[in-house]
Amino acid sequence: MSQMAGKLFSWVNSRLPIVNTFERHLSKHPVPSKVNFWYLFGALAAVTLIIQIVSGIWLIMPYSNTEEQAFSSIEYIMRDVDYGWVIRYIHTTGASLFFAVVYLHMFRGLLYGSYQKPKELVWIFGCTIYLAMMAEGFLGYVLPYGQMSYWGAQVIISLFGAIPYIGESLELWVRGDYYISGITVSRFFALHVVALPLVLIALVFLHLVALHEVGAGNPEGVDIEEYLDDDGVPLDSVPFFPYKVLNALVAIGVFMTVFSIIMFFFPEGGGYFIEMANFQEANPLVTPEHIAPVWYYAPFYTMLRAIPDPLGGLIVMAAAVAIFFVVPWLDRSKVASIRYKGIYSKIALTMFGVSFLTLGYLGTVGVTEIRKTMSVVCTIMYFAYFLLMPIYTKYESTMEVPKRL
Amino acid sequence: MQEKDKTRRKVLIGLTSAVGLSGLPFVATPFIAAWNPSAKAKAAGAAVKLDVSKMQYGQQIQVAWRKQPVFIVRHTEESLAGLDLSLDKLADPNSDQILEPYKGLNPSRSKSPEYSIMSGVCTHLGCSPKYHPEVEPKPWDDSWKGGFFCPCHGSMFDMVGRVYKGVPAPTNLVVPPHMFEGSILTIGEDKEL
Amino acid sequence: MNKTPKHFRNYLFIFCVFASVFFVSNSGAAEGGPCKDYGECDKFKYSLNDIESLQRGASTYINYCYGCHSLQYSRWGRVATDLQIPEDIFFENLVFDKSIKPGDLMTGSMPAEESAKWFGVAPPDLTLVSRYKGDDWIFSYLRAYYEDASKQYGVNNLVYPGTAMPNVLMALQGNQRLICKDMPVIAANGGEKRDDLGNPITTEKCGYLEVEEGTGQLSKEEFDSLIYDLTNFLVYVGEPSKAIRERIGWYVVFYFLIFTALSSLLYREFHKDYNH
Repeated sequence: MSQMAGKLFSWVNSRLPIVNTFERHLSKHPVPSKVNFWYLFGALAAVTLIIQIVSGIWLIMPYSNTEEQAFSSIEYIMRDVDYGWVIRYIHTTGASLFFAVVYLHMFRGLLYGSYQKPKELVWIFGCTIYLAMMAEGFLGYVLPYGQMSYWGAQVIISLFGAIPYIGESLELWVRGDYYISGITVSRFFALHVVALPLVLIALVFLHLVALHEVGAGNPEGVDIEEYLDDDGVPLDSVPFFPYKVLNALVAIGVFMTVFSIIMFFFPEGGGYFIEMANFQEANPLVTPEHIAPVWYYAPFYTMLRAIPDPLGGLIVMAAAVAIFFVVPWLDRSKVASIRYKGIYSKIALTMFGVSFLTLGYLGTVGVTEIRKTMSVVCTIMYFAYFLLMPIYTKYESTMEVPKRL
Repeated sequence: MQEKDKTRRKVLIGLTSAVGLSGLPFVATPFIAAWNPSAKAKAAGAAVKLDVSKMQYGQQIQVAWRKQPVFIVRHTEESLAGLDLSLDKLADPNSDQILEPYKGLNPSRSKSPEYSIMSGVCTHLGCSPKYHPEVEPKPWDDSWKGGFFCPCHGSMFDMVGRVYKGVPAPTNLVVPPHMFEGSILTIGEDKEL
Repeated sequence: MNKTPKHFRNYLFIFCVFASVFFVSNSGAAEGGPCKDYGECDKFKYSLNDIESLQRGASTYINYCYGCHSLQYSRWGRVATDLQIPEDIFFENLVFDKSIKPGDLMTGSMPAEESAKWFGVAPPDLTLVSRYKGDDWIFSYLRAYYEDASKQYGVNNLVYPGTAMPNVLMALQGNQRLICKDMPVIAANGGEKRDDLGNPITTEKCGYLEVEEGTGQLSKEEFDSLIYDLTNFLVYVGEPSKAIRERIGWYVVFYFLIFTALSSLLYREFHKDYNH
């Protein structure tokens, strides 16, 4: 029996490089031996992507992408489809955790200089993934066609209108109608369900291939390729399989525990994961008291609101995402990791972190005079981190990076 | 590595795999269950109840169950008596070739001696046969003893839905599960089955 | 790699400077809460395992609310099953239209266009009201009606000022009015101000709700209990799978905790291979 299986396996393996790929990318792929928990979020992001795709496929089955039935099809899923509520909550919880995990993953990048040469392209693919995720999340949130779906779409689509000359036609073209309607919903459906997932999968693939080409980093910023053993394997490395796979398994355990706690006990996330207003069907005649985006867009929403001019707000918001792409060239430091960078980098990164969190908070609450000022202050702090980086990373005194892990 | 460690390692791999894999059927459950007929489907496919006591003798009515026609015929005495007259014309008079829920119970092929309940879908290609109870020569049969004639391709069935020989339809009209509670007929559900 | 204590203190100081930005932003609420003139909504704690409460709530809903407010996403048979009411008893006592089948949706009997004319706005469907308004809000709203001769139905509501809905439960609650009471003056330190003889100093404060004695069929406790059951039922109807969701949740979380513990042991076991 096992002999037959063995023969079948070699037949396949001589036509498809299974063993080769397994060794190259898993059992013989060297990764730094000492990393910390910050390095686990990439794997978690991949797991979450798979969760979203599987739960998403199952949601498409009972969902109706027409204006008349979109909202009621969600209640149909929640009530009439056996265990439909499980699948729905998996998808909404997964969406929020996807962003949480990716934000932490990106922060790791800033902490340890994961964007530095030769990983610039890995970083750029990553930023593109983030951009695609922002679009994917927005499109997906429109599909239940609740009040917040409608009015959130209204706000975001009207941003297109802020672009000079082509703005109004662009707005009309994106909507496909003179106002948001079923036409908009069904095209957003196609983009959310097919187009962007394909783009995301392709980008994740490229992201990983680029990473494997140059090798993963570590919290010390040490180049493990400098010291090799007799077989050419880095001394400070371990094979990815089984060691890092097991590490990822623990991370997945923790992640799924958090996931389950949220999904089974607080799926609405206190109104931050599924906004209360979205339990009302879209009504073009009634504007909700607060139009707030889901929490993961909040920092950028605050920036948008901080600038009174619509075009200015759009530019600032776009710049806030775009600036991530050029970080590899803004960072002029000789060292990669925050552990060895100077005091200015540490202060700047703290300032960034605090401002990002505060911007996030401000995006979820109502506007007051103090908060308006704080939004502007925090936006400045946010951009200062990036724009001053070429200066403070170049001129600060760094510490000596060790040679070995 | 020492033997003790090797065993510990094996045990842990085994245990973790076992716990991990044991979760798979639970994870799969919602996804598989979601394919079951939903409450909406169950409601639409629910049994149909009606009171048949007001039907005239010899009358046929039609109701919809699961989007298909179901014929209910209330037979006259003569009609029931004349069932055996066309026996030699029938392809499967005792419903041996199909699975019939109430086979042999009543000549009417149903749970009641005077009502027939049958699916109004011709077993050839799905058209709806027409009810012709009159015992008189018909264009499709000189010695017509009453029954159903399907206008699409000429299949013929007797008064209780049994198929004639030599017609395109292969089998008798299907009898759906049903039950009587007094004069209330429920089609689609039979608590005794 | 080790920072000197001085560096760390400086860093901590800088961090606190930045963090203060967050706390400044937090200061002061921007606008009134969801319960408007009522103040803070009364806290409501649902108990979906209290089947009797849900049954009473369902009965109240059908008898007093369903005439105007549909529950269009809910099915009759499902309510009977979830509330553990035998189907025949349920249909005999709570379903007044005999043509309704168990699988049917609770689409209500109020025609939308006419009702919009009669009330100014069609009475909204309430299947999801506990999710978009919140159970606290519902619990407070139903108890916050008061006499107001200037309004169409002679009542107004502190939680939803200007509501187009009459007080359907007035016969049960009684006539509630907005009154002024002599309340003790509260000093700056939170204590009651007293005069030289030790008696509390009072001043007239308005905006209190009080039911006229003897005008309602139910006492205040009984009425509050009725509203509790009704709100509980609305929480159920808003998400019928809520109770089972929380029940399953315990098992799932427990499973993942076990899995995490085991995989952690497994990881550490392999980690020994390269721990140098």
